[in-house]
Amino acid sequence: MWKEYDLGRWGLGLLVVFLLVLPLLRFIAPASRLVTNSLLFSLTQMLMLVTLASNWNLVGGLAGYVDFGHAAFFGLGAYSTGILMSKAGWPFLPTLVVGAVVAAFFAVLIGRATLHLKGPYFSIAMLGTFVALREIMRVTRFVTGGGPGLTLPPYLNRPLFYYISLAQAIIVVAFIWWIRRTEFGATLVAIREDEVGAEMRGINTTLHKITAFSLAAFSSGIVGASWAYQNTYINPDIVFLDSRTAEIVMMTMLGGLGTVAGPVIGAVIVYWLRDIVWANFLQFHLIVEGALLIIIVLFVPEGIMGTLGDRSGTSLGRLWGRWLSETHEEAEVRP
Amino acid sequence: MTQNNRNQQPLLEGRNVSKYFDGLAALSQVDFAVYPGEVMGLIGPNGSGKTTLFDCLSRVQDVSQGQVFFKGVEITRKKPYQVAHMGLARTFQMIRVYRKLTVLENMLLSRQWRGEGLLKQLRPSQPRTEARARELIDFLTIGHLIQETAGNLSWGQQRLLQIGMALMPDPDLILLDEATSGVNPTLIETIKERIRRLNREQGKTFVLIEHNIHSIADLCSRVFVLSHGEKLTEGMPETVINDQAVIETFFGAHVGDDEGDNDR
Amino acid sequence: MDQFLQALINGIMLGGLYAVMVLGFSIVWGAMGVINLAHGELLMVGAYLTWIMNRQFGWEPFAALIVVMPVMFVVGYILQRTLINRIIERPQLISLLVTYALSIIIANAFKLFFTATPRSVDTVLSGFWRYGNVTIPVVKTYDLIAALIMMVGLYTFLQYTRLGKSIRAAAQNREAARIVGIEISSVYAMTFAICIALTGAAGVLVSPTQPVWPFMGPPFTLKAFAITTMSGLGSIPGALLGSLLLGLVEVYVATYVPGAGTSLGIVSSYIILVVVLVTRPQGLFGGLTAMEVQ
Repeated sequence: MWKEYDLGRWGLGLLVVFLLVLPLLRFIAPASRLVTNSLLFSLTQMLMLVTLASNWNLVGGLAGYVDFGHAAFFGLGAYSTGILMSKAGWPFLPTLVVGAVVAAFFAVLIGRATLHLKGPYFSIAMLGTFVALREIMRVTRFVTGGGPGLTLPPYLNRPLFYYISLAQAIIVVAFIWWIRRTEFGATLVAIREDEVGAEMRGINTTLHKITAFSLAAFSSGIVGASWAYQNTYINPDIVFLDSRTAEIVMMTMLGGLGTVAGPVIGAVIVYWLRDIVWANFLQFHLIVEGALLIIIVLFVPEGIMGTLGDRSGTSLGRLWGRWLSETHEEAEVRP
Repeated sequence: MTQNNRNQQPLLEGRNVSKYFDGLAALSQVDFAVYPGEVMGLIGPNGSGKTTLFDCLSRVQDVSQGQVFFKGVEITRKKPYQVAHMGLARTFQMIRVYRKLTVLENMLLSRQWRGEGLLKQLRPSQPRTEARARELIDFLTIGHLIQETAGNLSWGQQRLLQIGMALMPDPDLILLDEATSGVNPTLIETIKERIRRLNREQGKTFVLIEHNIHSIADLCSRVFVLSHGEKLTEGMPETVINDQAVIETFFGAHVGDDEGDNDR
Repeated sequence: MDQFLQALINGIMLGGLYAVMVLGFSIVWGAMGVINLAHGELLMVGAYLTWIMNRQFGWEPFAALIVVMPVMFVVGYILQRTLINRIIERPQLISLLVTYALSIIIANAFKLFFTATPRSVDTVLSGFWRYGNVTIPVVKTYDLIAALIMMVGLYTFLQYTRLGKSIRAAAQNREAARIVGIEISSVYAMTFAICIALTGAAGVLVSPTQPVWPFMGPPFTLKAFAITTMSGLGSIPGALLGSLLLGLVEVYVATYVPGAGTSLGIVSSYIILVVVLVTRPQGLFGGLTAMEVQ
């Protein structure tokens, strides 16, 4: 058992090193043909998904607040970069920071209102936030370029974006791995398992929820900012893409809510499905994705890592079954 | 049973507390007070509002009218975690433990959080906390289950765990909601004895919601009776139990039986 | 003053449309506990069916109701028996996810078949009536009339027929209804089928008033949710009032805020939604806050 664990650790380390070194392999003649810009681009996209899924997992999986509009923070980051770079001529990296801060700030703002809501209502409130933000971006033309969108200064540097997203993915996954071992992580799980009980036992649930929420937003803001620069063009519809928010939920659920590796595995699978299997058939992909989500939710709610017995994970059914049974039981014993 | 000095300020007090759900009064102008060092019983037929009263006093629910005071401080608008930090703990009739976590983890999560910023929580649990958790769990006779997943425990064992979790932050006042219902008789005696010890040796104050009249008579220095959301009477157990009005309100209830024969 | 009056008329028309749209959503939620995030997409299906009838056979949209409603009824019935059935008695989040996935499937399937090009439905009932400086769109007036007829029909059905009463009973208390012998699963199937037919009908009514395209759904879903939350679960009068209110708000915002267009309509719905959820955390029907221990 111990040896297996060690092997896993070694394997992971090796993978990380490999990923780190990958772009540099181009300077080694035999490998240079394989490590194309296109490959780096694909990996960058995949790593972005890993980060987004892991961010979402912090709030949705660990704390149990299933956010249907998380891509809103991605969008805020993207628009921050878009606006600052194309209208104010800022260099990229500062806009990255601004994007993250704006997203986090907005998270605190909206979280104060929505994090008090129970499960489904929270989910829909966030979905509404997402949709509303899209329209707000469309309407505030003078700042955001409205429907026609904004064009950013082009900059082709695949290795740079690759490293940014790689760094982020590693940091976020490591963060989640670490946080679960701390008391903060434990309190998030407590909030998920029994929020009323947790609050009654001295845990300031609002503070914890908002902290996790804004951390996730901060990180997703960075992803959005980076994506915007890479994409060179943003408009409300491609930034606040409906499928983006759906995919984030899908990936994490597929891989296993609340686990560390779950979002990673989910992201990899979804990415592979989207860009390799269904590459030219986006509609098919989304349809398949929808069907997959239904199957997972109904039949394999623990996702991949969950059903493999990673104890820290949770299945949706259990999560909200608690809510349901509480409403039921308490209704019965209500004086 | 400790003598209570009535000239003291109440430890926990509800003044003119009313609670409405959709126009129906679950509680109606209830005046409630428990003094330091007491073991107080809260009884009443099903539906009389006992748990709602606990909810209002512990701030899990807002009162529709009235005020709540703890240690002389008004807590009517405070959040439950703030009241917990002030030294109030409670258990729930509908058992609330973290089912997916182990007994030990449940205990660790229930420790005293007062004064700890988020930054401090970036550590794993401290050994001192763990030691205390183990001590308490042993005290409650479920030490052998410490690594067991809470959801796998029997009903009675979960009740004990809840009590343990309530005791972790070293509270001054503990509200126990049906601490013994569904628990087997031996365990009931254990729980009662532990309560007695905590009250005598550490001066902890208790309010117990109980259906078992024997337990009430054994443990409590004072009893408060709720009926249909209103205070019916209060006083010494012997007086209250023999009060005609109380007997009537319980008509049909088994005053002499031992409830809780099964360890579910 | 004229502008105010014009906005009032437009608002009432819009409100009437919303009323038909929201009823299907609200009843499914109230009677079955299912929050149908594919609501807008089902409306879209109704709109597309109308377009097909319109383009292929030259039918007037209102005539298409005859075809669309039965078709959507069947669709709803099948959907309920195969999918929705599995999510009724389960935690609400499951129904959210499943219907969300469904909405994605439906929208993208339609994009596949019909492309994303917006379609328009032609009607003979174009044009306006004029009274002084106020114009009343013809087709929207008929929409309103149709909406009122449907609402009256629904009300009669729920009040006076046995099935209708069963649905109301089930909405009040599922357990009791079961005990009394009401066959819950068929009641559910019929309820859902009727509501989808209603939603499809809303799609028919909407089709002449805006472009029809695969992703026209989400604003309707959001508005339905906003209205239902605002007005209370299963309360039909409430839903009507809420629809009217939303219609009026949208039109007035669009009139008096320059350059707003439909976007602000969506934003207003959302703001209303959040305001309601936040300021009345008990919800108009209880049980909304995470902290509530009822």
